Amino acid sequence: MEFFVQQFVNALQLGSLYALIALGYTMVYGVLLLINFAHGDIFMVGAFLGVFGSITLDLPFVPTLVLSMVLTGLLGVGIERVAYKPLRQASRLSVVITALGVGLLLENGMLALTGANPRSYPQTFITTRVYDIGGVAISNVKIIIIVLAALLFAGLYTIVQRTKWGMAMRAISYDKFAVPLMGVSQDQIISLTFLLGTGLAAAGGILWGVAFPVLNPYMGLRVGWKAFVAAVVGGIGDIRGAAAGGLLLGFIEIFVPAYGDSIGISSTWRDPIAFGLLLIILVVRPTGLFGVARRQKV
Amino acid sequence: MLFSVQDLHVSYGSIRAVHGVSFEVDEGEIVTLIGANGAGKSTILNTIAGLQRPDQGEIIYRGANLARMDAHNVVKQGVALVPEGRRIFGNLTVYENLRLAGFQVSRDDLEARIKLVYSYFPRLEERRDQLGDTLSGGEQQMLAVGRALVTGGRLMLLDEPSMGLAPILVQHIFEILAEINRQGTTILLVEQNAHMALKLANRGYVLETGSVMLSGPSKELAESPEVQRAYLGG
Repeated sequence: MEFFVQQFVNALQLGSLYALIALGYTMVYGVLLLINFAHGDIFMVGAFLGVFGSITLDLPFVPTLVLSMVLTGLLGVGIERVAYKPLRQASRLSVVITALGVGLLLENGMLALTGANPRSYPQTFITTRVYDIGGVAISNVKIIIIVLAALLFAGLYTIVQRTKWGMAMRAISYDKFAVPLMGVSQDQIISLTFLLGTGLAAAGGILWGVAFPVLNPYMGLRVGWKAFVAAVVGGIGDIRGAAAGGLLLGFIEIFVPAYGDSIGISSTWRDPIAFGLLLIILVVRPTGLFGVARRQKV
Repeated sequence: MLFSVQDLHVSYGSIRAVHGVSFEVDEGEIVTLIGANGAGKSTILNTIAGLQRPDQGEIIYRGANLARMDAHNVVKQGVALVPEGRRIFGNLTVYENLRLAGFQVSRDDLEARIKLVYSYFPRLEERRDQLGDTLSGGEQQMLAVGRALVTGGRLMLLDEPSMGLAPILVQHIFEILAEINRQGTTILLVEQNAHMALKLANRGYVLETGSVMLSGPSKELAESPEVQRAYLGG
């Protein structure tokens, strides 16, 4: 039982991190029908801005988190303005290739800037405490990650559901044509979407660096791809789907190696089993858990 | 003069959709543009609304030239397009559609205008929490007109509001349009249903393949042999 609770908390932690990153993919896809393949690398930049804040500027945890979210958010807005906006009328393929190029630029730019040695946050960033909750040892780091991720998601969900900005984001994903007729600047809403999506990826990056303290310029590749898959399985374009997909992936990745050994499955099968299960979900529900088939408009 | 279009030319690539159209709308009028499919009616409205860039020509509203303005800024000037096919946001509720149309409107004005829309179309208030997708065609058209009112449009451009609706519904919506006009909104109406349009409008322009062929008071147009033959099945 203790083992189960421990694994459950681990799964929540990992799943929350995937979910935070998956939100950015799904939001950008919702408004632009673009898979932002640079998003994993933006997550990496967010994590490294945490190094900048905590070590270079010697800031504590919360100011570092805010600083990284703001700067990464602005980077996301800038990337959209410079790299994607000129291609609004271009073919989807051109935009996807551009996104991959932006990702390479970020990875190699960071490599040139910081070198190949892995980085981590200082010990004092979050002082680890371990609580004994009913006989189960749980560290404060895990609680912080899970609670922060939940709060950020709740904040985003409120913006999307309750504010006029969120209504405009949902409206664009339904019918781009009519949005300007409401007096809404499409460019503004697209910028806001990138600001929020990349800001959340930065939060994910910093929390990831707290949970798994080995940061390198290529860390966004694996994590980014997995979060992308989580967004697709959840139903890309729907933020509840990104949360559900992220959590689901976290649970599979933790529970397969945790219990696989006892039924004769080696933990090296973690990824094949995880992605196999996700593939099955997509076969059964091609639009993902929360997705609805998109109406094609002519 | 509230509104005038002068020598408007619009093309899609190499296809010239509108060449050299001019017309005027006075404050408080209902003016209609009638003509067959492909005459350029929708193109003219989309260009006024800022969705399409003209090659040439001026679009003057209250002294400002709208011809090079982005669509969301045209709305700010007080010109609202009710687009062809209504273009309701089906994933938003009725209230959210109206709320979004008030994006640039202050909170107080917004609530007052939404109330006004509900007074014209009580059906919308009954369905305020329903998704746009679940509305009937007539209700969607009411919502599309309602959104234009919420933006604060003093000049309302309507593109084929009768399309796909039962005659009795068209009758109802046109009555409300007449009432909206009496309350001070100027209307520029594009229709294939020339009969209904000429009944509602004060004046009309007949378009053919991108140019104005005829113009005059609605009564005269409705009686002219060309219009009768081509558009009224006379």
